[in-house]
Amino acid sequence: MSTLKHKGKGPQALTANTLRDGLNVWLTPEFEWSMNYAEALITEDTALIDKMNTCGERDEVNNLVVGVYFIDVEPDTGLPARYREKFRVKGPTYDTATLVPLEIQKV
Amino acid sequence: MYRYDEFDAEMVSSRVDQFRSQVNRRLSGELTEAEFRPLRLMNGLYLQLHAYMLRVAVPYGTLNSTQMRKLADLADKYDKGYGHITTRQNVQFNWPQLTDVPDMLEELASVEMHAIQTSGNCIRNVTSDPYAGAIADEIEDPRPTCEILRQWSTLHPEFTFLPRKFKIAVIATEKDRALVRAHDIGIEIIKNAEGETGYRIIVGGGLGRTPIIGQVLREFLPRIELLPYLEATLRVYNRYGRRDNKYKARIKILVQETGIETFREQVEAEYSELVPLDIAVSPEEVSRITDYFAPPAFKKLEACEIKTKDSALARWMKHNVLPHKVDGYAIVNISLKPIERAPGDVTSEQMRVVADLAEKYSFSELRTTHQQNLVLPHVEISELENVYKALQAAKMGDANIGLISDIICCPGMDFCALATARSIPVSQAIAERFQDLEHQSVIGDMQIKISGCINACGHHHVGHIGILGLEKAGVEFYQVKIGGDPSENTALGQVTGPGFSQEELIDGIERMVDHYIEIREAKERFIDTVRRVGVEPFKEVLYV
Ligand code: HEM
Ligand code: SF4
Repeated sequence: MSTLKHKGKGPQALTANTLRDGLNVWLTPEFEWSMNYAEALITEDTALIDKMNTCGERDEVNNLVVGVYFIDVEPDTGLPARYREKFRVKGPTYDTATLVPLEIQKV
Repeated sequence: MYRYDEFDAEMVSSRVDQFRSQVNRRLSGELTEAEFRPLRLMNGLYLQLHAYMLRVAVPYGTLNSTQMRKLADLADKYDKGYGHITTRQNVQFNWPQLTDVPDMLEELASVEMHAIQTSGNCIRNVTSDPYAGAIADEIEDPRPTCEILRQWSTLHPEFTFLPRKFKIAVIATEKDRALVRAHDIGIEIIKNAEGETGYRIIVGGGLGRTPIIGQVLREFLPRIELLPYLEATLRVYNRYGRRDNKYKARIKILVQETGIETFREQVEAEYSELVPLDIAVSPEEVSRITDYFAPPAFKKLEACEIKTKDSALARWMKHNVLPHKVDGYAIVNISLKPIERAPGDVTSEQMRVVADLAEKYSFSELRTTHQQNLVLPHVEISELENVYKALQAAKMGDANIGLISDIICCPGMDFCALATARSIPVSQAIAERFQDLEHQSVIGDMQIKISGCINACGHHHVGHIGILGLEKAGVEFYQVKIGGDPSENTALGQVTGPGFSQEELIDGIERMVDHYIEIREAKERFIDTVRRVGVEPFKEVLYV
């Protein structure tokens, strides 16, 4: 059932969205999910990548995350290679939320 | 206003219960994501680039103050304190959590709102003229027709799994403010030579990756035949629409591949097989529904004009205020396009201001527009200054309706999972470059429209200047179209050539605008000049 298996080039990271709140997460070296890309496990080690794969499938089945997939990472910057993935890391460059006082916002 | 009847209320509330149980089963793992995804989409819940996104239906863009306040409450309670008005007159929330969505839907149901059929391959929320019921030259209020379509299409068993989504728009004036020729079906309420009111049916329009202008399917359809005829049309589409290829599945492709004559024959053949009176709406029912939209209790006022020395107020009245069909009243457009903001975004605080203004000055009535603005449809002329001051205080007083900074813009790469480039910063940069309101007035009517990918949610194909965001090797670039027209003279713009960086783009637009001002004749609008001289001269200044 999984859509996993990396087909990419170079270093890989594993990303998904949490099921409950939908936010972007990346798999950490502890095989947990973090909302902070700086904590992501980035590796070219195929044994590790297999383990990440298993972990992603497991957490999908366990209903923790949805839409798990591998992303290519630029070796020199450590940032995602694809433009879209860079945006998932950075968040919106403009969000009207910044105009709303924080105490009003739920998330 | 439309009113829920008992059927609606029960249906919507049972739908909320159903979705709550589906969410619970998803969380407990009884439903897999593959099973759950179509269910959440049927309730308007998408997963976007950073989070879930909930799309709430605003039937034909009509809202009341209570509903607007509810949207403000939802924005605060379950989101980040704002919402976004879409080009299909709906409202989107960018940050809801899955676990909250059943509560959000329950709260929406309490004010007769929902998110049903805002996604998926069904008949979507019907859109219409935001000035319905207020504009002088309408043949009749188009909303009763919209409402009949809403009731017919909601959970229609035969049309829940069409080959692809299906969008309908209805207008009742010669001026088109709903883009009927870019819809799967466009309906124009017209009068025939005998003075009877009926419908002109247009089919096969659409934007997206294959933009096509709709063609007339039936020049005049008697009123009573509306539903049977549409039923026949949708049956033909349901039968022959391409289910093998998502990109060829819209009715526009079917009509194009079949040819309008053959398609018409197919529809008429299907129609002749139907027992029309089975689903035709009786005149009694039409009149019952029309009563929902009875005009509010307008006062008997003298026609009047406002003379003001306040130049800001005068400018706002010139650009944002339109004559009303009733003497002494006016239609007020509220701009959601201040320079520094994202087009169509509105904070909860602003929603409450607008709800209060509607309550105080517009019989609690409000509209959303496909231009991503709001409308107070029935304001007494003598109150315009008060309304303006309140709007200005809430940063909604921009006098730029229809001007170069009144840009349609989709969420683009800042929010959308399908985007190829950002669109919000481009619209902000254009608005900033042209921030001088006096200069905007001099430029006059100008429609810039921006989409963040070929799906064209930002209507770039029909922009006087249309902008499409693309990406190559990690760099955003923007392709320009010129000569599109979203009005009743619907036209698709022509691609000018290779794309530009954002900075080059803004400079290029400025050069085109300057060129237009230089060569325009008399009262020509930008689009008129493009029509007269062609796209070439503009291309030349764009690519200097
Ligand atoms: C955020 C999630 C969104 C997704 C996933 C999405 C997806 C799409 C797709 C795939 C199409 C092309 C459909 C086709 O041709 O078959 C489309 C078209 C369109 N969308 Fe969106 N869109 C989104 C947001 C919006 C927003 C925010 C607006 C309004 C501002 C909008 C309004 C439209 C319109 C007007 C069209 C073109 C008309 C048509 O041919 O259907 N969409 N969208
Ligand atoms: S045009 Fe593309 S980027 Fe913009 S909202 Fe539609 S799908 Fe997203």
